[in-house]
Amino acid sequence: MTAAARPDAGLKLTGSAPYGTDLDVPGMLWAAFVPAPVAHGRLRGLDLGAARALPGVTVVGPDDLPGLLGPRERDAERPLLVPDEILYRNQPLALVAAPSLAAARAAVAAVRVDVEPLPVVADLESVFPDWPGSDAGAHPQVAAHVHARHGDLAGEFRRADRVLAETYRTASVHQVALEPHACVAEIRGSTWYVHTSTQSPFGVREDLASLLGVPEESLVVDGTWVGGGFGGKGGSFLEPYALLLARASGRPVRFALTYEEEFRLGRTTLPAVIRMETAVRDGSIRARRVRLLLDVGNSLPGRDFATGYSIGFLLGPYRTEAFEVEGYAVRTHKPPFGPHRAPFAPQCAFVVESHLDHVAREMNADPETFRLQHLWVEGSTTPMGQTVGPFGLRPAFERAMTTARSWRAALGPGQGVGIAGGFWSTGTGAGGEARLRLGPERLTVLEGEREIGSGSVLAGLTAVAAQATGIPPDRIDIVYGDTATAPFDSGVYGSRTVGALGRAIQEAAVRLRRTLAERLHGQGQAELVVREGTLVATLGSRSAPVAELLTEAERAEGGLVADGRHFAAPNHLDEDRVVAGQFYPYNDFAGSVHVAQVAVDRATGQVRVERYAAFQDIGTVVDLGSAQAQVEGAVAMGLGTALTEEAIWTDDGRLVNDGLLDYRIPTLGEVPPVDVTFVEGYAGAGPNGAKGLGEPPIIPVPAAVAIATRAACGAHVTELPLSAERVARALKLL
Amino acid sequence: MTDAAVPLTVNGHAHSVRDVPGPERLLDTLRWRLGLKGTKEGCRSGACGACVVLVDGRATLSCLTLTHDVPGAQITTIEVGPEDAAVARVRAAFAQEGALQCGYCTPGFVLTLAGLLHERGRRAAREELLEAAGGNLCRCTGYAAIVRAVERLATEDR
Amino acid sequence: MATFDLSAPESPEAVVAALRAAGPGGATPLAGGTDLLFDLDEGRVAPAHVLSLRRLPWRTLDWVAGALTVGSTLPLRALEDDPQVRTLYPGLYEAVRNVGSVALRQRATMGGNVVRSAPASDLIPILLALDAELDLFGPQGSRRLSVDRFVIGSRRTELRPDELVRSIRFPEPRPSAFCWQRVRPSNDISQVAVATAYSPSDRTWRVAVGGVQPRPRLLPEAARELTGPDPPPAAVGRAAAVAAARSPFVSDRRASEEYRRRLVASLVERAVGLTRPAPPRSA
Repeated sequence: MTAAARPDAGLKLTGSAPYGTDLDVPGMLWAAFVPAPVAHGRLRGLDLGAARALPGVTVVGPDDLPGLLGPRERDAERPLLVPDEILYRNQPLALVAAPSLAAARAAVAAVRVDVEPLPVVADLESVFPDWPGSDAGAHPQVAAHVHARHGDLAGEFRRADRVLAETYRTASVHQVALEPHACVAEIRGSTWYVHTSTQSPFGVREDLASLLGVPEESLVVDGTWVGGGFGGKGGSFLEPYALLLARASGRPVRFALTYEEEFRLGRTTLPAVIRMETAVRDGSIRARRVRLLLDVGNSLPGRDFATGYSIGFLLGPYRTEAFEVEGYAVRTHKPPFGPHRAPFAPQCAFVVESHLDHVAREMNADPETFRLQHLWVEGSTTPMGQTVGPFGLRPAFERAMTTARSWRAALGPGQGVGIAGGFWSTGTGAGGEARLRLGPERLTVLEGEREIGSGSVLAGLTAVAAQATGIPPDRIDIVYGDTATAPFDSGVYGSRTVGALGRAIQEAAVRLRRTLAERLHGQGQAELVVREGTLVATLGSRSAPVAELLTEAERAEGGLVADGRHFAAPNHLDEDRVVAGQFYPYNDFAGSVHVAQVAVDRATGQVRVERYAAFQDIGTVVDLGSAQAQVEGAVAMGLGTALTEEAIWTDDGRLVNDGLLDYRIPTLGEVPPVDVTFVEGYAGAGPNGAKGLGEPPIIPVPAAVAIATRAACGAHVTELPLSAERVARALKLL
Repeated sequence: MTDAAVPLTVNGHAHSVRDVPGPERLLDTLRWRLGLKGTKEGCRSGACGACVVLVDGRATLSCLTLTHDVPGAQITTIEVGPEDAAVARVRAAFAQEGALQCGYCTPGFVLTLAGLLHERGRRAAREELLEAAGGNLCRCTGYAAIVRAVERLATEDR
Repeated sequence: MATFDLSAPESPEAVVAALRAAGPGGATPLAGGTDLLFDLDEGRVAPAHVLSLRRLPWRTLDWVAGALTVGSTLPLRALEDDPQVRTLYPGLYEAVRNVGSVALRQRATMGGNVVRSAPASDLIPILLALDAELDLFGPQGSRRLSVDRFVIGSRRTELRPDELVRSIRFPEPRPSAFCWQRVRPSNDISQVAVATAYSPSDRTWRVAVGGVQPRPRLLPEAARELTGPDPPPAAVGRAAAVAAARSPFVSDRRASEEYRRRLVASLVERAVGLTRPAPPRSA
C-alpha cells in the first residue's frame, strides 16, 4: 500500500524545515553544562572564577539562582543546579555560555570541581537483594510504593492445582530521537522567549513559569520542527537553563545537547525486576500476584508516576478472580525515569505474555487458546475495577491466530511463530483546544501542537477537519502558533493528538457550520462544498459562496472564527482495591495483537525476525497512510527493545554505551516487512470513534518476539533484550 | 596551511571559506559557516548517517570529514536544486511513498541513496541501495516506507 | 580538544620529512580519518600537525602475477567494488564490506585500519589469515613486514614514528572466508570474527580470530588440525574446540568470555566450511 504524500514532504526533502538544532539567531551564544563527575557525592567546592574570567563567557552557578526550583514533574523541589548533594553523574553543576561551542567547552574545562564521593547505588537489585516486605515503602531509596488487591487471594492460591512463579528482568532503553534536545532563548524587553524542539510548548511554558518565577504572560514558547520525540521531549529540559544564560548574558543563547549528553542525561526507561505468580485451577487462571521493582533513578519521593501507572499493565488484559499487585519505585543514582513511547508498557507486556505462555505450556494447554479464553472484552471489569469500553482486542487476537496458523504451516527447522497482545490507555482525556478560521476559499486550523513526525497533526488533524467541515484537505492549512497566539493544548503524548484535538476541531466545525446556516437564514449545520472552484456553503436548497457570507471584518481578519475544546470526563477506579499509593485509571482502551515469525541460529542464539503482522484495535482509521506508518515505526522501535537495545550502567553510575555505536537501535537490516491490519468498529472517544495509535503498536513487540523465539528453539528467555547471548544461555549453550 | 581559505563548491556555488580551524568538520562548515542547516547533526560519530552529503559525488559522513581535507571538492547537500538528477529521483520516490516522518534522518537517506545512484547510474540494484541505506538510522518509519521508496528507485527505469 | 593544523604533502618523502621534523607525537598522518578523528576529539592524541595522505599516489589496486596489492589509502569502497577481489579473495571481500557503512567505507582505508590497530578490527583477522604483508615506507626506503609481526597489541604496531604504510600485499589468491557475530547484525562491531584461508600449494590452513585481546591473532594450533582442501568434520570439530580453548578472550560490553568461546567454535566451523576454491576466473 502506498501512503499519500505527506504535507511536509517538500520541506523535509529540501532541507527547508528548521529543527531545534538548526536555530541560528544573530549574536547568539553557545551553552554547555558543567557536569557532575560522580554519580553520588557532596559538592565541596565549585570554583567558577577562571571560567568567568574568560573573554565573552557568561557563567551561571548555583549561587546565582536563589529560590529557583526545578522542573515540576522531575526535579521538583530541587534546584536546577546542584547546590550540595550530587545525585547522578553529569547532573548540571553550573552553566556557561560563550561565543562558540569550543569556547563554551574551554570554559567548562576551566571550572574546578571539588567533590567528596559518596557511596553509589546504581543497581536496583543491590537495594533489595530479596523481595521487599510491605513495610519497604518507608525505605529511604523508595520513591513510591503502590499496593492493590482484590478477591480471595490466599484461598485461590491454596486451592490451586498449580502455582507457577517466575522472575523477569527488563533493561533500560532510550528514546533515541535522532535530533538531540535543542533550543534558543532570548529575552526581548519583559518577554522571555524560547524557541524549542518540544512535544509540548504549553507544558514547557508551565514548567518555566513555576521554575523561574516568571508569569506565563511574560513567557512565549515557540515550537520548532521536532526531530523525533517518543516521550523524550515532553516538559522543559534545556529551556530554563538557556533562559537563565540569556538573562545573565543579555544575549540570545543556544543550548543543544551532544548525542553523548542525550544518552547520559536522558530521562527514560530504567531497569526493572518483576515477579509473577499465577494460581491455576481447572485450566483457568484463578489468582495472580505481581511484584515490581522499578528503577526510577533520581525521581523524588512522591513524584513517581511510572509505578502507579504501569503496574496495571502487569496484570495484562486478562480476567482474574483475585489479584495482588505491589510496586516499588526504587531510587538510584541515575537520571530520573522519563516517558518512552508507551512508558514501560512493552516491558510489562513482555512479562505478562511470556509468563502466561509459560503457564499454558506447563498446563499442557494451547498457549494462544489459553490466553484468548481469559481476554477482556467490552464490559469486562479490570482488576482495578474499571469497566472496559468497546474493545477490539479479542477479534484482533482471533485474526492473529489465523495468520499464525498459516505461517506455521510453512515453517522449517529453527523457525517459530508467536502471538502477543497488549492494551493501552489512549489518553483522549487530556485537554486541548483548536480554532478554525474559514476564509473565502480555505480553512485554517490554528492549534498549539507541532508536528513531531507521526503525521498526527498535519495528516490526522487535516483529515478530521476535512471530514468535519466537508472542505477538501488541499484547502486546509494547519497553522501552529506559539504559546502567545495558539489555543491551549497539553501536548503530543499519550497518543492523544487526533483524539483530543480532533474532538476540539469537530466541536469548532459544528459551530462554524451553525453560523453559516444562520447566515443562510436557516438552522442546523450548513454543508461546505467546492463548486466550480469556489467554496460554497449550502443549507437545503439555499447556498452561497463562503466569500459572500463573511462579514467585512471577518474578511479583513482572514475569516470566520470558531473555537472548540475537548476535556473528557475523568475516569475512576475502585478505590477499595487500593491498599497503598496512587494508581492511575486508564481510559479509552486500545488493543494490539502482533504475530512474529523468527529464525533462531541454534549455534549462536541469534534471533532474526523474518515476518511480522500487526492487528490494531483503532476504532476508526482517520488517515490510512500515517496510521500504517505509525504501526511500522512502532514495530521497529519495539524490535530494538526486544533484541538489541540496552543502556548499560556501571556500579558507579556511569553509562557505558552513551553513543549510537554501542547503543544499537535497529537498522534497515533488522526490520522485516510488517503487515498492518486495522480492526475497526470498536469505537473510542476520538473523532468518529478513533482511538490513539502512537503508542499501542509498540506494546506487544518484545513479547511477540520472545514467544516466537521459544516456539522456534525452546529458549525461554526471561530477560530483555533477547540478545543472542541470553538466548544461547537459555539453550544451555553456555 | 590551516589558516588558508578552503575552496569548496557547494551545490554548484563556489565558496572560499576562511578561518577554518584544523579540527573543523565539514558538517559544521556547511551548517554554521555556509548556513546550510539541511545537513543534520546526529551522533557525530559516523553511526547514524544523518550528516551524509556528497563529496565529489560520493556519499560521505560529513561528521567524520575534516573541511581542510576536502579542498576544491564538489559538495552536494539536501538543499541542492533539481539539477542533481539523482537527488531529484530519490526525493520523488520518498515523496511518493511517504518515506519520512520527523524528517531528521531524511537528508542523510536522500544523499546516501543519491550517492549510490551516482556510483552505479541507472543500474543500481535494490540490494545495493538497501545496503547503502543500512548505514542510516531512522527511528520513526521502521524503514518500511523507505524500503518501498528504494524499490521504486530500483525498478522505475527498467 | 587541542587544535592542530592540517597539511597535505605532495609526496611520501615530504610526509616522512614532516613527521621527522615534528618529532614523536608532534605530527600524525591522516588517511580516511574514520577512526583517528575520535582520538583527536578526545585528546588521546594531540599532534600540532595532521598530515593528510590524500595527495599520495597510493589509492591503488594492483594485480601483480595474479596477486593483489592494495594501496594503503585506497578507500575500502573501491576495494569491495572490484569484481576480481570478490571472486579471488572472498574472505577479504566479506570482511571489507562489513566495515561500517557504505558511506564510512568511502573514506576508510585498509592502511588506516592496520595502523590504527583496534582490537575489534574486522580487517586484521582476514589479513592475518591471508598472510598479508605490508610495504612500509620510511626515510631509509622500504621494508616489508607481515601483518602478524606488524600488529603487536591494542593500538600498538611496529610502525616507526617516521614511517608510513604504503601498501598491503596479498599472496596469490586462495580460498578464504570471514565469519562474524554481532549484537546487531547490520553495521556493528563484531563480538567475535573468524577468518580462514587455505593455501593449495602447501595444503595448509591459517585460522585467525578477532574479538580477542589485546589484538586479533592467528591460531596455529587450530589450523594444524586442518589439512587438505576439504578437512573431515572431525578435524573441523577439533579445530573449533582448539580455537575455543586457545583464544585469549575477555568479557566486555559486547559479550562475555564464555559466550565468545562458544561463538568462536561455531564460527570456525562455518568459516572452514565456506573456505572453498574460487570459481574459474572470468575473462
